[in-house]
Amino acid sequence: MLRWIGNALNSSVGKKIVMGLTGLLLVGFLVEHLHGNLKLYEGDGTGFNEYVEFLQGFGPLLVLAELGLVALFLCHIFLALRLTLENRQARKHRYAVRNNRGKESFGSVSMFATGALILGYLIKHLIDYRFADGFFDDPKGAVANTLSQPGNAVIYMIAAVVLGVHLSHGFRSAFQSIGASHPKLDAILDKAGIAVAVFFAVGFGSFPVYYLFFWSPSS
Amino acid sequence: MSGDASHETMRITLKVWRQSNAEADGRIETYHVSDVSPHMSFLEMLDVVNERLLGQGKDPIAFDHDCREGICGACSLMIDGRAHGPEAETTACQLHMRHYNDGDTIHVEPWRANAFPVVRDLVVDRSAFDRIIAAGGFVSTPAGSACDANSLPIAKENAELAMDAAACIGCGACVAACPNAAAMLFTSAKVAHLSLLPQGQPERDARVIAMVDAMDDEGFGNCTNHFECMAACPKGISVENIARMNREYLRASLVSRSVE
Ligand code: FES
Repeated sequence: MLRWIGNALNSSVGKKIVMGLTGLLLVGFLVEHLHGNLKLYEGDGTGFNEYVEFLQGFGPLLVLAELGLVALFLCHIFLALRLTLENRQARKHRYAVRNNRGKESFGSVSMFATGALILGYLIKHLIDYRFADGFFDDPKGAVANTLSQPGNAVIYMIAAVVLGVHLSHGFRSAFQSIGASHPKLDAILDKAGIAVAVFFAVGFGSFPVYYLFFWSPSS
Repeated sequence: MSGDASHETMRITLKVWRQSNAEADGRIETYHVSDVSPHMSFLEMLDVVNERLLGQGKDPIAFDHDCREGICGACSLMIDGRAHGPEAETTACQLHMRHYNDGDTIHVEPWRANAFPVVRDLVVDRSAFDRIIAAGGFVSTPAGSACDANSLPIAKENAELAMDAAACIGCGACVAACPNAAAMLFTSAKVAHLSLLPQGQPERDARVIAMVDAMDDEGFGNCTNHFECMAACPKGISVENIARMNREYLRASLVSRSVE
């Protein structure tokens, strides 16, 4: 009865559509995440504490949203593994000489590597906050505490750049994958892909920079 | 470029993949070719090398070719790591030696993809493409005799897009150039071509699903949008066709009444 769904999802086209869709939904998550983080700059971070409280207020609904997010990530990661392995398999004998001349870029060839780095970072990030003791007592204090340590700050900065590199290909590519291509749209997307990448890299990268260089415990 | 030296000849060093049959281990062999005229096409230059090899009682370099005028899609050489060589929208048979300089070294390899096994030297088996076409790259409505002009209206824009997609000569350069050895540009050109025309409508949904299935069965890679295929295509087929195929596939999966 549902064989057609399995067939569609297992096909090369189905896989890329799901890859693109989950990627775009994760970008949607990034938008809200950055919006929340920006409240760290509001009234010495009290805005952030209020935001965390506001989210906590959703109770079981928040857990549901978190589970949905986990499902999105798992889907995206599973497909990444599958696509990467299958694509390696598709050309067992490599070229002795190869020159590209299309849109192959550092971002496009490093998707798996940048994705893996982001996953590693994500785990650290969850341990730092989500699963840290006492995080929910004073979220802004926990953030300041973590990011004012140089080692952590550098990791968070690098992660922001890696995310940008991932998005430099991923954002533009996702639209093509879900079939959204049109001369009018493509002209915008070619520019928007890089803009989105820079936006998130600078946005998320600003927090470790702020806490490492501009924040002092007394302020 | 030594293109102006029309009567001069060049010396070229060729590094060519030689493989005696599908099972044999291949290797790159070096050939020094003097007397290369800038007027020669790349394939004519290989002809000269082969004549010399035959004269020495050696095996000539096997390579595919037929029309030698850029329309059949038989020629299939990876030249210095680029499908069909350095010139944009030019098949290997239409590539001329005037684009090279005296003393150049040129690497020549076959298309590399598991779905295109090497048969011998530079010849690969591209029958995977034939099987994708056989799965749905046709219309089975009886066409009858030619109908009256203007009895079958087609929007000019659709006619143009279909024509652009139909320019595909099935050479396989897209697969060869793709970092993932994916065949999406080829398959999508065929799907787009027929889905844009009224004659292609009756089988529109079944076609895209059958052709994508056939493509996947052949062991091509998955497209991850590097757009190397479009840059390598001697006919300038656009990746817009791939997006169209993705839409067609999604649509067909959702609306076709088959639950299989
Ligand atoms: S030999 Fe026909 S296209 Fe090159």
